[in-house]
Amino acid sequence: MTDYVHPEVLVSTDWVAQHLNDPKVRIVETDEDVLLYDIGHVPNAVKIDWHTDLNNPLVRDYLNADQFSALLQAKGIGADTTLVFYGDKNNWWACYALWVFKLFGFKDARIMNGGRKKWIDEGRELSKAVPNYPKTAYAAPQRKDHEIRAFRNDVLFHLEQKKPLVDVRSPGEFSGQLLHMADYPQEGAMRGGHIPGAKNIPWAKAVQDDGTFKSAAELKELYQAQGIVSDKEVIAYCRIGERSSHTWFVLTYLLGFPNVRNYDGSWTEWGNLVGVPIEK
Amino acid sequence: MFTRQEQLEFILDHYENPRHKGALDNADAVVEGGNPGCGDIVKVYLKVGDDGHITATFEGEGCTISQASASFLMDEVNGKTLEEVLTLDHEALMENLGKEIVQQRTRCATLSLDTLRAAIRKREREQMLKES
Repeated sequence: MTDYVHPEVLVSTDWVAQHLNDPKVRIVETDEDVLLYDIGHVPNAVKIDWHTDLNNPLVRDYLNADQFSALLQAKGIGADTTLVFYGDKNNWWACYALWVFKLFGFKDARIMNGGRKKWIDEGRELSKAVPNYPKTAYAAPQRKDHEIRAFRNDVLFHLEQKKPLVDVRSPGEFSGQLLHMADYPQEGAMRGGHIPGAKNIPWAKAVQDDGTFKSAAELKELYQAQGIVSDKEVIAYCRIGERSSHTWFVLTYLLGFPNVRNYDGSWTEWGNLVGVPIEK
Repeated sequence: MFTRQEQLEFILDHYENPRHKGALDNADAVVEGGNPGCGDIVKVYLKVGDDGHITATFEGEGCTISQASASFLMDEVNGKTLEEVLTLDHEALMENLGKEIVQQRTRCATLSLDTLRAAIRKREREQMLKES
C-alpha cells in the first residue's frame, strides 16, 4: 500500500469482507459516538468502548494486566488473534484503542483503512447482531508504557533536549485562542497555548476525504515540512492523547519512525500544570 | 420498564427524527454549549411568551446521544413554564431517555439540559439589565 513502511497494519474493506468468518480474525469497532455499533456494525464485529472498557474508572490511567486479560477473554480474543480495529471519525478512536492494546504488547493489531464511513459508503452489509465468542485464556503481560507512552517528566526532559514535539490540535487550540467551549470554562485548561517548540500538524491532515490515510509520500512531506523526521525521537500530544494516538499510528507504522511516544496527559495536564513553560 | 432494545429504539428515533430542530426567530436567548472531549454541540433558542410558557428549539451536531437528548428535551419543555423546567435534573433526563444506554455518556446526555439552563440564566441577566 503506497510504500508504507509497515503496510501490514492496514487492511482494506475488501480484506475485512473476505475475513468476516475467519476464526483467527477479530474485528473490533471503537467509536467516538458510542451508539453507532448498536445502529449497525461490520458483521461479526465486537465493540470496545474506549471510555468504559479501556480506562481505570478511578485513576486517570488505563486498565492493568488483569483487567485487560479479562476484557480480551470475554471478547474471544487470544494472543494469536489478528485484531482489526475500525471506527468513526477517520479511525480516530480506533487508533487510540490500538495504541492502548500496544501498551500491553499485543502482537497483531491492524486498522481497517477508511473506517466505518468507508464500509458504509461502499454499501457493505451492516449487522445489529452482537456475536458471542467462546472465552479465551488470554493472559496479558504487564504494560510497558515507556516504549510508546510519554509522561509529564518525559516531556519536560524532551523539551530541555529540544527534541521534536507534534501538537496535533486545531490551530485555535495551538495558539491559545481556544481554551474551552463556550459556557463550559470548567472543562478546559487553565491556560491556552502549546508546549514550547511544538509544531502544529493537525491530526486529520493525515487522511483523505474518504477517511483513508494519505500516501506515504504525502505523509512524509506533511511532517518533513515541519522538521518531523524519522531519525529523531518524537512526542505527539493533543488534549487527552486521543487525536495524537492517530498521529502516533501514522508516524510509527506508515512512516516507520522508530521512536514515537504519545503524551496522553496532553493539554488537559500541561495546560493545568503549575509552572511549566507555555508558548502562544 | 423498557427493555434495552426499546430504549435504544427510542433514542434512535429522536436522533433520526429530531423534534423542534431549527433556529427560532426573535428568541430571547441563544446559547451554544459543547463538550470539549468530543465533537458535540447543542445550540438552544429560548423564548418565553407573555403567558410564561416556553418555546424552545435547538440546532446541533454530534453523537447520537447528545442530539437525541436535545430533541427529547425540546419535546419535554415546549409549552411548560420556567418554574417547571427548572425542576428538571440530569437524573430525570437520563431516566426518561433510557438510563442503561445513556449512562455510558453522561456528559453527552446532559449537554442539552445544561445548555438550556444557560439560556434561561442568560435571559434572566438580560432582563435584569433592561430593568435596571
